[in-house]
Amino acid sequence: MNLKKNFMIIIQKNKIKNNLYHKTDNLETNKQKILVTSNFWIEKKKELLKKKFNLGIELNSDDSINIIEKDLNSFSLIQFNFISLKDGRPFTYARKLRELYKFKKEIRASGNVIPDQYIFLLRCGFDSVEIEDKKKEIWLKLLKMDKGLYYQP
Amino acid sequence: MYKYSKFDKQIIKNRTIQFEEQVERRLKGRLTEDEFKPLRLMNGLYLQLHAYMLRVAIPYGELSHKQLSKLADISDKYDKGYGHFTTRQNIQFNWPKLTDVPKILSELASVEMHAIQTSGNCIRNISSDHLAGISKEEIEDPRPWCEIIRKWSTFHPEFSFLPRKFKIAVTGCKKDRAAIMVHDIGLRLKKKGREIGFEVYVGGGQGRSPFIGKKINNFLSKKFLLNYLEAILKTYNQLGRRDNIYKARIKILVNELGEKKFKDLVNENFKKLSKKNMLIMNDQIKKNFSFFKLPMKKSLSSKIPKINDYEYKKWISQNIVKHKVNGYSAVLISLKSYGKPPGDASSHQMRELAKISKKYSFGEIRVTHEQNLVLPHIKNARLYNLWLELKKIGLSTANINLLTDTICCPGLDYCALATARSIPISQKISEHFKKFSKQIEIGKIKIKISGCINACGHHHVGNIGILGLDKNGEESYQITLGGSADENATIGQIVGPSFSENNLIGALEKILGTYLKKRYSKNEDFLATFRRIGIDEFKKELYDNNTEK
Repeated sequence: MNLKKNFMIIIQKNKIKNNLYHKTDNLETNKQKILVTSNFWIEKKKELLKKKFNLGIELNSDDSINIIEKDLNSFSLIQFNFISLKDGRPFTYARKLRELYKFKKEIRASGNVIPDQYIFLLRCGFDSVEIEDKKKEIWLKLLKMDKGLYYQP
Repeated sequence: MYKYSKFDKQIIKNRTIQFEEQVERRLKGRLTEDEFKPLRLMNGLYLQLHAYMLRVAIPYGELSHKQLSKLADISDKYDKGYGHFTTRQNIQFNWPKLTDVPKILSELASVEMHAIQTSGNCIRNISSDHLAGISKEEIEDPRPWCEIIRKWSTFHPEFSFLPRKFKIAVTGCKKDRAAIMVHDIGLRLKKKGREIGFEVYVGGGQGRSPFIGKKINNFLSKKFLLNYLEAILKTYNQLGRRDNIYKARIKILVNELGEKKFKDLVNENFKKLSKKNMLIMNDQIKKNFSFFKLPMKKSLSSKIPKINDYEYKKWISQNIVKHKVNGYSAVLISLKSYGKPPGDASSHQMRELAKISKKYSFGEIRVTHEQNLVLPHIKNARLYNLWLELKKIGLSTANINLLTDTICCPGLDYCALATARSIPISQKISEHFKKFSKQIEIGKIKIKISGCINACGHHHVGNIGILGLDKNGEESYQITLGGSADENATIGQIVGPSFSENNLIGALEKILGTYLKKRYSKNEDFLATFRRIGIDEFKKELYDNNTEK
C-alpha cells in the first residue's frame, strides 16, 4: 500500500499544515492536542475536563450538537465529520456555533467533503478541512477561483 | 423586467467557468460520478433515460424576446430543435451532450440566463403568478420579492445541501395562480391596515405523500422576510430527515413534528438568529420595484376587434385575460395544441414568438406553471392581427382552462423515474376531446397527468388527476378526483381501481357524464359539483357498469 496516497493534511484558508491533533481514546496519552469522538466525550466528559488537554471533539454530521452546547468553552477544536458530502447539517451547525454561541476557536470539516464545497464551508464559519495531501492543488485552485462575489451578507 | 447588474453578470460568468472546470475534472476521472452528481444537478443537469437533460431557469417565469430567441438557437444548435416548458416555469432541453453544456451555459449567460439551482437538494427557481403586475385585484406585484428571494437563495452557503429539494412560490393575489399551497414555502402578499406583508405557508407538496401547506405566520413584515426564510430553512436543514429520500421533504418534518412545534422552532431560530444585515430596507425594496414598472405610459380606449371568424372568436373567448390598464389584454398562448406533447415548443415557434412579442408586447413573454405562455401587454385593437400571426405558427389553440389544457410530465418517454408514459395519454385525451363545443359544454376543468408517484404532472391537484403506474409490467392509470391547486387547494381522492390505457378514455367519459348529469347549471364547474356531491356519486357510475375491475 502506498502510504502517501492516504496521507491527510489540513488546509486552512490558503495554507497547508500538518494535523496537530491526535485522535485518541487514551486519557493517559502524553499528547497535548487530542481529538475525541462524541461517544468518548459523553462517556468520559468529567475526566477529560479535569485534564489540561487542548481538546478537540469530532462530531459526525448526524450527531446532534446538543451534546456539546453546554461545554463549548472546553474545546479548542470542533470537527464535523461529513458522513456524506450531501449531508449539509454541519453548515447550519457551524453558523449556529459562530453566530449564536460566539464560538471563537477552530471549526474543522473532515470526511466526505469535496473541494467544490470549500467556499461554502469557509463562509459558514469553518476554518479548516482535513483533506488528502494529493488533492491539495485542486482545493487551492478552487479557492483561488473564488472571486468573493456573493449575494448573501 | 429585471436587468442584470455588473455583479449579477460576474457571478453567472464565474459559475460558467467553474462548471467548465468541474466537467473537465469529471471527464479526466478526477471526480467520481457520485461526487459530480450534486454539482451537475446544482447546474440543472440531469442524467435521464436516453441522455443528459438540461433545465434552464426562467426566474418567476419571465422572459425577454432576446432570451426566448436564444433558447430557440440553443435548441437548434445543441438539441433537437425544441424545448419543453415545465410546471416550475422553466424550460428543459432533452438531448444536450455533456461536453456542450459549458458552451450552452455561456450562451445563456450572454442573455442573462442560467441553469443554477434548477435541480439538486437546494432552493430551486422561485415561481410566481403568471399575471403578476397586470392583475387588477393584486395587492402588490410579487416579482420584486421573487427577485429578492432569488438572489438570497443563489449559492446560499448554508442551504446548498439540504435534505431534499426546496421550492418557494410567491403570489400577490388572493386568487392563487402560483399553486403556493403545494410548495415547501408559499408566500402570499396581504394587507393589514396600511401595511403590506406576507402570509407564510410551509410544508405543502405533492409527490408520494401530498400535503396542503400549513399557515405558520399570518402576517410577516416585509423587512423580516429573509430572516424568516432563513429561520425556516435552518430548522429544516437541521431536522429534516436524511435517512429516507421519500421522507426528506419539509412537508414530512412539518407533519411529524406537528404544525405548532414546527412553528415554535422556526420562531425560536427567528428570534435568536435574525441578523440586522439581512433586514430588507426600503431603498432596496424601491430599487427592486423599479425593474418591474408597467411598460405602457397610459391607458387607452382600445377595443377588441369584432371579426366574424369562428376560430378567432373561440380564441378571444378562451385565451384573453383583462389587463389592469384599460385598452390592454394579456394573451395566453396554449402549448397544448391537439395531439402534441403539452409544454413543448419548436425552435421555429420560439423564434417567431420572440419576434411577435417584440412587435406586440413590449418584448415580454411569460411562462405559466400550467405549461403555457403569456404575452402580457397587448393593445386590444391589435388582437386580431396578433391572432393571425400566432395562427401561422400553430400557437392559436383556443383551449385555456378547458379539458385539453392538461398539465403533463415527460413520463416514460424521457424520464428515468417514470413508471408509465404520460405524454401519449395526454395526446389521446386531447385528440378525443378536441371538439370545441364539447369542451365548452364541460367548461372549466383541470386535468393533470403524472407518469409516476413523484407527481411532476401535479395529478394530486388536478380536478381530474391521472397517475401512471406499473402493474406487473403493464401500464395502468389511477384516477383521482377533486384536487385543486388554487386558493382553496385540496388533494384529489382516489376514485378506485386503476384503468388500462385502452379503458381510460371510457372512464373519463363516464366521470364527465356524471358531472354533466349532476351539475346544477352550466355555471357550476366540475370542481364545485364534485365538492357538492362527493366522490361516491362518481364511483357508482364509474364502476357499477363494470368498466374495469
